[in-house]
Amino acid sequence: MNKEAKKIGVYVCSGCGIGQNLDIDALQSAASENNDISISRVHSFLCQKKYCEIIHNDIIDKELHSIVIAACSPRVKTKEFSFDPSIVVERVNLREQVIWCNPPNDEDTQMLAEDYLRMGVAKALIIEQPEPFISSTLNSDILVVGGGISGITSAIESAKAGYRVVIVEKEAQAGGWSSRLLKQVPYSDPFGTLQDPIIHEKIKELQSFKNITLLTSSEIKEISGQPGEFSVSILNKNTIMEYMVASIILATGWEPYNATNLKEFGYSMHADVVTNVELEEMAKSGKIVRPSNGQDVQSVLFIQCAGSRDKKHLPYCSAFCCATSLKQAKYIRNFSTETKVFVVYKDIRMPGKLEYFYKEIQKDEQIFLTKGTVSEITEENNQLLVTVKDTLIDEVINIKVDLVVLATGMTPRNSEDLNLTYRQGKGLPGLKYNFPDSHFICFPYETRRTGIYAAGAIRAPGTISACIEDATGAALKAIQCIESTKRGESVHPRSGDISSPELYMQRCTDCKRCTEECPFGAYDETEKGTPLPNPYRCRSCGICMGSCPERIISFKDFSINAVSSMIKAVHIPDEFEEKPRILAFVCENDAYPAFDMAGINHLQYSAYIRIIPVRCIGSVNKVWISDALSQGFDGILQIGCKPGDDYQCHYIHGSELTETRGENIQETLQTMMLEPERIRTEFIEINEFNRIPEMIEDYLETIEEIGPNPFKDM
Amino acid sequence: MSFIEPDIDFIKHLKKDCGSVLTTCMQCGSCTAVCDLSPENNPFPRKEMIWASWGLKDKLLGDPDIWLCHQCGDCSATCPRDIRPGDVIASLRNYCYQYYAKPHFLGIIMQKPAFLPLIIGFPVVIISLILILAGTFKIPDGPVIYSKFFPHGLLNISFLLLVLASFSGFVIGLKQYWKNLKHSTTVVKPNGTLLPGFFSVLSTILTHKNFRFCTTNRYRYWAHFGVFWGFVMLLAVTFYAILATLFFEYPMAFWNPVKILGNLAGLFLLIGCSIMIWQRIFDSEKRTNSNYSDWFFIISLFLLTASGLIIEIARLQNWSYAYHLYFIHLVLVWMVIMYIPYTKFAHFVYRTIAMTYSKYLGRI
Repeated sequence: MNKEAKKIGVYVCSGCGIGQNLDIDALQSAASENNDISISRVHSFLCQKKYCEIIHNDIIDKELHSIVIAACSPRVKTKEFSFDPSIVVERVNLREQVIWCNPPNDEDTQMLAEDYLRMGVAKALIIEQPEPFISSTLNSDILVVGGGISGITSAIESAKAGYRVVIVEKEAQAGGWSSRLLKQVPYSDPFGTLQDPIIHEKIKELQSFKNITLLTSSEIKEISGQPGEFSVSILNKNTIMEYMVASIILATGWEPYNATNLKEFGYSMHADVVTNVELEEMAKSGKIVRPSNGQDVQSVLFIQCAGSRDKKHLPYCSAFCCATSLKQAKYIRNFSTETKVFVVYKDIRMPGKLEYFYKEIQKDEQIFLTKGTVSEITEENNQLLVTVKDTLIDEVINIKVDLVVLATGMTPRNSEDLNLTYRQGKGLPGLKYNFPDSHFICFPYETRRTGIYAAGAIRAPGTISACIEDATGAALKAIQCIESTKRGESVHPRSGDISSPELYMQRCTDCKRCTEECPFGAYDETEKGTPLPNPYRCRSCGICMGSCPERIISFKDFSINAVSSMIKAVHIPDEFEEKPRILAFVCENDAYPAFDMAGINHLQYSAYIRIIPVRCIGSVNKVWISDALSQGFDGILQIGCKPGDDYQCHYIHGSELTETRGENIQETLQTMMLEPERIRTEFIEINEFNRIPEMIEDYLETIEEIGPNPFKDM
Repeated sequence: MSFIEPDIDFIKHLKKDCGSVLTTCMQCGSCTAVCDLSPENNPFPRKEMIWASWGLKDKLLGDPDIWLCHQCGDCSATCPRDIRPGDVIASLRNYCYQYYAKPHFLGIIMQKPAFLPLIIGFPVVIISLILILAGTFKIPDGPVIYSKFFPHGLLNISFLLLVLASFSGFVIGLKQYWKNLKHSTTVVKPNGTLLPGFFSVLSTILTHKNFRFCTTNRYRYWAHFGVFWGFVMLLAVTFYAILATLFFEYPMAFWNPVKILGNLAGLFLLIGCSIMIWQRIFDSEKRTNSNYSDWFFIISLFLLTASGLIIEIARLQNWSYAYHLYFIHLVLVWMVIMYIPYTKFAHFVYRTIAMTYSKYLGRI
């Protein structure tokens, strides 16, 4: 629908102090300055039920297409201000980001409020309500890759929820690592004694479900498609089987760290230095002896963190080795009452209630534990001499032992076993330490491939109990994905969003930027390089929209045009008024809420700033920057979430992209003969709202130094 | 190269003696953090806890720090694993009495309740023998005059001889202890000299300064203060009394200043012991666990004092059982004094030596 035909209603709330701090009449007339407003109302209590009914009636009576609510932050009162789903509702944030952070009845505050309202109206005139895309070929089955404890748990949990599951296992028997254990570290109260591995029960349970198909001796040959309609071909003992599934759980688990790298602990140099995996094999076979001569062991020393939490090897903690070593210490003590067991650790780490197990093990006076660093292992008289420094005993100690056990950590298996036909590769992109998990606090199980969820040791190293918990969580995510896809909604983090990018293909130059930069591999490619969107893989972040030099990618409710018109709606005072204008693109995920928090805390910052919320800082298109500069803005701030492993961008690398795209933008500035300082990128965490006033002041100083934008009034 | 050789029997013994699963210590150091007496460098009791868990007996036997502890129980009340470091340290001290005892078997039987009849029987037999030899082993008639029944001279001499014998064994044990102290602490240059160190420690002991640090356990200061000074004063009065049996009037008149001092000291001791016993039974926070050797020492001291006061009343009141009571009192005197090197009573010697040594090293 074109802009002129749109009927729009503007509702200004004068409650919460807005009326006392702003000139509401002037505000109302600003809204209708250049636009034909069908109805404009002011009320001191807009969000009350009675008044929302009036708005609702207006929508029907006046046949409105869009309404603008100028009141509080769009993050609050969402339920009150939700009307007919076909109606565009644009919220203008007069409370948190205008009156709560600026002096009352001030000229600049008033200008800020008027600009925001004009921007809101401009946007409301352009955007439209999206409609969900619902494919006719969607199904509800789940594919589980890997038949270890995690895969089996995921399959059982999904089947319990009523979904059909296909579970693929490479080996001839399901069970994985945990079926090769003699005993398991305690997993239920009172967490004191070793228990039989839970996997055997789980396998039995798995076999009792009719809606689970277990394919052993099988491998994934190829996976193509998108959530709701993945097409999978499985190589099962020389025959190819085809399945259609809606989501995938990747639970291929771990491999032990290659101990031959651990020269410092004498592995492969002394026969009596073994790994925890090798000791487990010995215990399972019924006899723990010295590999060198087959004799019984009188004393054993465990080296914890062998290669773990060590920058030279694995920088992380594998979370299972401490408990496993104590379990194996118990094996050894059970085999022989005479044997002494020493455990040298960096820190003993006992996740959850395993602390009780640790305490129980400590009760044995023939198990000796100390913090320490093993500095040397030598062989003498057919025994191993271990030198340990930095011990709790506060001196360098020497211990003579028959066997040394290296507690080595877990490394994730290669996710390329999935054999995806995605343009961005066969596997899942590795994140921190090459585990394919996206963010371990905020978005567990989410990988960078929508509809594919990682569970168990491939997601993060851990104990069997952790894997079971993990697998259950991943099953839940897989189910969520299936159901969201059926409704045409995107999954985390924009859960429930029905918008998806629309490409105006006639103008596409096949530059491949969108297909390369999409963090989720949503675009496949023709041989020529033309993007082929897969809407169900999309998370609606808009990074492709930011990447497109031809500006052909937009969403119905978030478009190149809409933001450009918001930029153009701002009144830029001329140079002589000495009122600079800063445009801030603010990420909706962390930075925008941080601005709201600053308002809630009544932190005061300059009224020269104009904020435009964006889905991700990576969705900022270069054209908006040139629009803003030619409009006369003196500077542009891009405020995104913190990049990096520990505090991730919600779309994984949107923030980082903003930095790398900076080069292109500098070129734009050069062609416009402008200073590079006119654009600054900042990263902020949600709890860093205290930094906002300082951040803005600092940038304003820089802008004052370099002077006003020469394009003003041109 | 020396190798770590954990002594598993030692760990088992300690566990049994203090009733704590001390190997479950996770070395958090809460005990050390709350201890007001612990020195800044190499503080206790954390390091003692890992030494004990690893069965490093030699280190512990020569460790002066276990004697710097005054057993206030703050650490035990704080321990998150509830393994009562204070009691572990107390057990280690107990082990020292046993380990350094000469002759060794006396150290062992003192700590075993099964030998209690033997321990009591020994002075009973000796005293009875002396009475028989002196020919006074018959309850006299008339007003109570203890010397009619008890030959003071003979008793005093035999008592002194026995104490001398037991104390010479003590000296031999202490020499070994001193050697171990020096062996287990490697200090390049001591921070003080022995004699001034000793005097400084003596003043600490006389004023009970360290007991004042036990802020959450105030009663211990008063109880120990009473027992200590009561005992010291009574010791002085007793010496005077021995002299009095030879040269002056004995028994002393009720208003004799020495007698008054003696009675006062008896009251001090009695009250101090009573508080200690009371606290050990009714300690709501269960700061300290009392084992056989604790009870043996405190109860014998209490009975000694109580019986002393009772026989004084018995004499003044001319009770017919006065002589029997005196006999019991005499047995208790012998038990407490003669067995000093083998019981908890020895702590005052070990502690003084350890504190002096620590002062000498500059640790305290």
